Amino acid sequence: MWRLWRPDAVRALEDPKVVSSMPRYIGILKGKLLPKFVISRQVQVEWGSDSSEDELWDIHDASLRKMEKLMRDLDSGRIHPDELGDPPKKSLLHLKARIGESIMRSCRLCERRCGADRLKGELGFCRVGREFRVHSCFDHLGEEPEVVPSFTVYGSRVRPN
Amino acid sequence: MCPASRYTDLESGRISLGCNFACIHCQNWEISQQFAEGTVCGEREIAALIDEARRRGCRNQNWVGGDPIPHIPFWLKVLLWETENTPVFFNTNGFYSTEASSLLRGVVDIYKIDFKYGSDICAEKISGVSGYWKVITRNLKAAKKQGELLIRVLVLPRHLECCLIPIVSFISRELGPETRVNLMDQYSPHWRAAELPELKKRLDPDEWEKAVKIALEAGLRNVIT
Repeated sequence: MWRLWRPDAVRALEDPKVVSSMPRYIGILKGKLLPKFVISRQVQVEWGSDSSEDELWDIHDASLRKMEKLMRDLDSGRIHPDELGDPPKKSLLHLKARIGESIMRSCRLCERRCGADRLKGELGFCRVGREFRVHSCFDHLGEEPEVVPSFTVYGSRVRPN
Repeated sequence: MCPASRYTDLESGRISLGCNFACIHCQNWEISQQFAEGTVCGEREIAALIDEARRRGCRNQNWVGGDPIPHIPFWLKVLLWETENTPVFFNTNGFYSTEASSLLRGVVDIYKIDFKYGSDICAEKISGVSGYWKVITRNLKAAKKQGELLIRVLVLPRHLECCLIPIVSFISRELGPETRVNLMDQYSPHWRAAELPELKKRLDPDEWEKAVKIALEAGLRNVIT
């Protein structure tokens, strides 16, 4: 159906201006390349349950370099996706999720750096708490031609009193 | 324009709802006025919806808010459950920390960043943020290195000299003339925009024509208008 509404979106993936600015994205859509998170999920990482956030960041940065090397190898065809085994139990993506949770104890995700302890239920400027609240999600047809149809998830926040 | 920042001025002042900005011209204030909190969702549940969407032909997962920045920790967990190869489209105002930037690296395929203001004064006045220019330019440069970049520029009436010119000059000079930029003319005075005299009306056609000329004269070669 979207093809009728947005014929420009059908053509977009062949548009030289799109191809030159997002070749990797197009490669993923054509099934030739993997999204980055899938590659991060393949990089095995170990950390201790008592590691400090600084230690976790050190492990993160070293693993990220491994991930980027693996991505270059996959993108260039030196490694075939079939050669990747099952994803490990603890990966770079797991570590990112672990650090993300840790940051919520003193939130500094945005540059307001408000420091709210979201895990204890404190709310900062954005009022996004400890749980993922979703306002709505739908197949968005109103974005740039190369982007649509785009499954759009509107994150929400806790209602003000 | 920021995809869905929501804020209201309950009692006094600006209260953001799910966004780190408080734009006076927020286009999504009506949603915020319903005081809908949304539903608490499990990461696994959202992952399943995204997998289904990819199977029916959606091209990507579009993370929005408000702004997706405060939701990053949730999203990272959602990704652990996804089984399809769905590219990540991070739909943000770009006002995130270096810590957030590191978490996004190796995760986000396309950084879609709104480049809203050319001056900290305008950013403070219209969106209620301080230190805008330093942060947005740092993050734009990093995004170009760590992923693919799409920049949205909503042209605001009477903000050509103070905002548009520095914005397009920066893009052309620091990110390259080939950077893909969606230059948008659809500014509309939502919410409390009428409180600022210059934001009371839509962009007039002459001003839009001038805006396009400014973008092209800055050397930009990949502009969607």
